[in-house]
Amino acid sequence: MDKAILKVEELSVRFGALTAVKRVGFEAQRGHITSVIGPNGAGKSSLFNLISGAIRPMEGRVLFDGRDTTGFNAVQMVSAGLSRSFQITNLFFELSVHENLRLAAQFIEHGRGLFLPTQRSRLANNRVDELLERFALRSRADELAGYLSHGEQRRLEIATALACNPKMLLLDEPTQGMSLTDTQETEALIKELASDDLSILLVEHDVELVMNISDHVVVMHQGEKLAEGTPLEVRANPQVQAAYFGEVRGHAHA
Amino acid sequence: MGEFSRPASSKQINSLRLLAVLFFAISCVFAFIATVVEDVFFLRLATEAMIFGGLALSVDLLLGITGLLPLGQALFFGFGAYAAALILKNWTVSIWLVLLACMLSSALVGLVAGLIAIRSKGVYFALISFGLAQVVSKIVFNTVELGASDGIIGVPNAQILPGLSSGQPTVFFLFALMFIALVYSLLNYLMKTPYGRQLIAIKANEHRVAFLGFNTWRFKLSAFVLAASIAGTSGALYPMLRGFVSPELMFFQVSGNAIINVIVGGTGTLIGPLYGSALLTGLRSVVGSFTPHHQLVIGVLFMIVVILFPRGIIGYLAPMLDRRCQKGQGTVQQEARGG
Repeated sequence: MDKAILKVEELSVRFGALTAVKRVGFEAQRGHITSVIGPNGAGKSSLFNLISGAIRPMEGRVLFDGRDTTGFNAVQMVSAGLSRSFQITNLFFELSVHENLRLAAQFIEHGRGLFLPTQRSRLANNRVDELLERFALRSRADELAGYLSHGEQRRLEIATALACNPKMLLLDEPTQGMSLTDTQETEALIKELASDDLSILLVEHDVELVMNISDHVVVMHQGEKLAEGTPLEVRANPQVQAAYFGEVRGHAHA
Repeated sequence: MGEFSRPASSKQINSLRLLAVLFFAISCVFAFIATVVEDVFFLRLATEAMIFGGLALSVDLLLGITGLLPLGQALFFGFGAYAAALILKNWTVSIWLVLLACMLSSALVGLVAGLIAIRSKGVYFALISFGLAQVVSKIVFNTVELGASDGIIGVPNAQILPGLSSGQPTVFFLFALMFIALVYSLLNYLMKTPYGRQLIAIKANEHRVAFLGFNTWRFKLSAFVLAASIAGTSGALYPMLRGFVSPELMFFQVSGNAIINVIVGGTGTLIGPLYGSALLTGLRSVVGSFTPHHQLVIGVLFMIVVILFPRGIIGYLAPMLDRRCQKGQGTVQQEARGG
């Protein structure tokens, strides 16, 4: 088995005159947490959309789990084993927490029991129970997703993406708008989730969180890959310091 | 915001079930009384309400469950009516064969129309479904072989069993009632399956459904075909009741009335559209006997309902009933989740 679960090669996409992603390439290893960081507008979200099948690349290739998945749509990517969460919470707000998860978990039944009562989908129901437990949502199971607190919604967002039992999970700013405690809990959770069966690709604003839990970090800047390496390597990289950390320290270059 | 959106707390589903039982019970009592007093007019009117109730159910499947607004559902209703009229006149008077043929052929027509319409979303879907119905109704209106603007008259009665035919008001009312009960039960059942839940999910957030690994196009197309088949089979009952069909059955008036029936009754509740259909079919006829401007009255009523009860009559009554039940029993019923 190839050690890399995801290979991105020379990936590009343009929106009108703006080149959002410009010949970006990197690899994500199986079982690792790979993170993409970069300032606002660096093209992180576009890169995510390209990999998850939300938009099609204009150039380049995406290889996932040994297959060429370039140009796959979202449905095909989930079938290939790649699932994603969203930066802006994207749930079924009018449906209960349990139902949100059950809808997502139904995928692992692979079309079986589509016309039988939902209780008969045992795999899916067991999966929902697992996720309610793991994401501490058991007590909120009957609540409408729209009535949850922000932190709970963000947890449900991750749990929903995880319900289809993917090989790789793409998390788009999972701690967006979370309180400090929630962020710390989520950080621990993500770390716990990564295993031989589940690789994680993370886009995150919180640089500290990324440095704490990532095995590999890709830094993007203005649509291009600026650097990559272990958290230590990236931190020490002068270009990264100038372009990214530099902003924080107040001597950003142009 | 269909009432089926809240599956985990089954309270509302229970009150809907109660209202459904009530609907069919009232219908049976009505049939008994009308038969005893030999009131043919109201029996036939009630049969018409059932037939348009079938059309309303098909609209609710699309509008209330899947989130697609069909402005041309009369296309399939009219198609079923014409197909039934032709079959009854030319081939067989067996109601079973007629309904089977109409069920299958309108599903096929629905598949063709769906392949065209489902590609579009939102208001574009609504307009394409509207356009399709307009085109077909104009073609029918101008086809001499189909009776052009006069339609087809002199459609014979359909035979249900030896000695039982659609010409007997009580018999045919009960037949239509049975048909509607069957369609209602089927749809109600589907809402408890992963298939029906996916449709609800598509209405709630279609974008996310794709990222859960489900092909929304397939689900929407299948719902569209099912709705077309239900509308067509309901339409097939129409010439059996009235003895004729006319191109008006495909006009926007019929599609529009069906949507009004659904909204007044309660979008997404399934039983609501049947109440809406019964109420408004009755009202149209009663008001129509006093004034030719009955559409005006229906229009005003529609506005009042939309403003005062935006979720429709059943959408308003069901939660109220739930609160009553809870107070009465002091318990909160909960459906066993996940087996």
